[in-house]
Amino acid sequence: MKGILGLAFEGLLRKKGRNLLTMSGVLIGVFALTMIVSLGEGLAHAVTDTVSGQDNLRQVGVTGGFGIELSNDPFSVTIEGEMDDARRDRLRRAAVNRRQIRQWYGRRVTQINEETMGELAKIPHVDSISPVIVERYELKVGEFESDPKLSFGVDVANHRYDNRIIAGSYFSAPDAGEVILHEYLLYKWGLIDSDDYSKVLGKKITLKSIVNEQDAQPAAPPQMQGFLESLTPEEREAAMKLLPKLMGMAQQTRKPVEREFTVVGVMRETQPGDALNIIEDGQSVQADVFLPLETARAMFEESAVNAQLGYPAAVVIVDSPDNAPEVEQAVRDKGFTGFSVASVLKQVETMLTVITVIIAFLTGIALIVSTLGIVNTMITSVLERTREIGIFKAVGATNGQVMAVFLTESAMIGLIGGLMGLGIAVLAMIPGDAIGGAMIAERAAIPYQGNVFVLPLWLAIAGPALGAVTAVLAAIIPARRAARIDPVKALRHD
Amino acid sequence: MALLGRSGSGKSTLLNLLGGLDRPSRGSIRVSGTELAEMSKRELSLYRRTTVGFIFQSFNLVTSLRAWENVSLPLIFQGIGRFERKKRAHELLERVGLDKRAGHMPSEMSGGEQQRVAIARALVNDPKLMLCDEPTGNLDTATSDQIMQILAESHRGGTTLVMVTHDPELAEKHTQRTLRMADGQFVAEVPA
Repeated sequence: MKGILGLAFEGLLRKKGRNLLTMSGVLIGVFALTMIVSLGEGLAHAVTDTVSGQDNLRQVGVTGGFGIELSNDPFSVTIEGEMDDARRDRLRRAAVNRRQIRQWYGRRVTQINEETMGELAKIPHVDSISPVIVERYELKVGEFESDPKLSFGVDVANHRYDNRIIAGSYFSAPDAGEVILHEYLLYKWGLIDSDDYSKVLGKKITLKSIVNEQDAQPAAPPQMQGFLESLTPEEREAAMKLLPKLMGMAQQTRKPVEREFTVVGVMRETQPGDALNIIEDGQSVQADVFLPLETARAMFEESAVNAQLGYPAAVVIVDSPDNAPEVEQAVRDKGFTGFSVASVLKQVETMLTVITVIIAFLTGIALIVSTLGIVNTMITSVLERTREIGIFKAVGATNGQVMAVFLTESAMIGLIGGLMGLGIAVLAMIPGDAIGGAMIAERAAIPYQGNVFVLPLWLAIAGPALGAVTAVLAAIIPARRAARIDPVKALRHD
Repeated sequence: MALLGRSGSGKSTLLNLLGGLDRPSRGSIRVSGTELAEMSKRELSLYRRTTVGFIFQSFNLVTSLRAWENVSLPLIFQGIGRFERKKRAHELLERVGLDKRAGHMPSEMSGGEQQRVAIARALVNDPKLMLCDEPTGNLDTATSDQIMQILAESHRGGTTLVMVTHDPELAEKHTQRTLRMADGQFVAEVPA
């Protein structure tokens, strides 16, 4: 076999130019294939790497739902009773249409409050649940009053925020009356130079909830309001005892919540390299004011409207990423809107794989074309070497050995071409990464530092191997032709 | 043994049949007790590999291989390693007086030298049967004598030699037996 390899190699060297041209076909095929699959792999990595840190995959985001997750599929609705199929079908449709109408009105059927969070926490595999608190507050510093700004409740134990303090300090305790302001807010307030930060640190700042006109109205209808006003203080007291719920509602007036804090630090904007938490950062991305979660929660609950509507969202932490889809489903079954990074990631990865496979198949056309080139080259080679094949046979080569010489020669064309394609692809990935990285940086909201092209080991092996296998397949017919050459005719001297 | 006869008399065909390059359309060929007519293609290949050495009028060297590589070609198909092949090739080139030309290409050699390389190649597998088709047909008289001496030497070493030739003188001078052929038949044993 080693000798046959030598013979094949010698045959290859004899027509260097022609064989190089043939190889370039394989080269282009393997190059394109390697680039495409590496790009797909790189993008999949980009998505996974960005997302899989910080327990992203263990989180399920929850928002209030519009009732049980409703299917628009008429066949998922059961219509009971004896009737003909047409009627059953009409009733099914009617049921589905009514469900859609319920969504149309947008009335939240489920709310996130202490009670429902307790229920959600009981779902198997749920480790913990905490509300996401994002609220608008008017800010007052001394005489200065600002437009409403978005605040965000930070879990003080979560050190993702700790790392982003660029002036002053992080929260000393969950309830120390401290706030941290975002650098952009300070910039807009005119603290342009970085030295200016010291001017705000230690200052008192008041957060005041916004009460719009509608909210400012008493909760009770005017008739009841009039009735209440006609009561004497004693009667009122008695009424409170008899009808506590009704009276509570009637007395509710929506007053703004107001609290004073000390500015202790300045938080910078996120930057590449920061740990990312998809669900939480999605909510906090516009926040200008950061409060400890406990404080934010207390202030949120003080507002009667909020107490009625519940929290805008909550984050459920699942014990393991594998169970996230199951928990997500359970959350939906309870009538909430569930969202898990894990399930989105799975969809994105599936999509990327499908796209990559389709494009890789298209790229495979280049390899098929190169196959034709190989067939042509090998047939020519066999014709040119008829006498040589006769000699091989005269000195005892079997048909199989003659075939092996040509198959090996072709395999080398494929392998060398494939290796060159791989090599060039590896080189092309260097500028490719720079260009791709720049394109991602320009468009993506989330900074990504990794490579755009990722060449997995299996591909580095499979690319050239595919070139070699294709070439061997292409050479089968020429090699058989070589093996069938009649030595007597081949050796007949002219 | 020499085979004399005109072109088309069947000398070369007989040689090809004896060498297992061709198979008879009918009849039988027996070489030292082995029936060739019933052998498969693969068996014929193995027979050529182990039993037969061919020498051609036009030498039939592989032009892209060096002298020693040509000599060692039969060994490649026997699966013998490169080191051993090189050693054997050099031994045989020495026997034909060409050990110094081992690294040369056929195109750099004279006709006589090329035929000596071909003889070395034919001898490399210690054949029982050497089949020579006009071995000196392309060579001048002096070189022919040289070639015939080398062949005679291998004959003394125990190899049966069957040589096709046009030259009765050459046949008479160097061979034990000479048969004349015409129309595919033996017609006469020359020194009757």
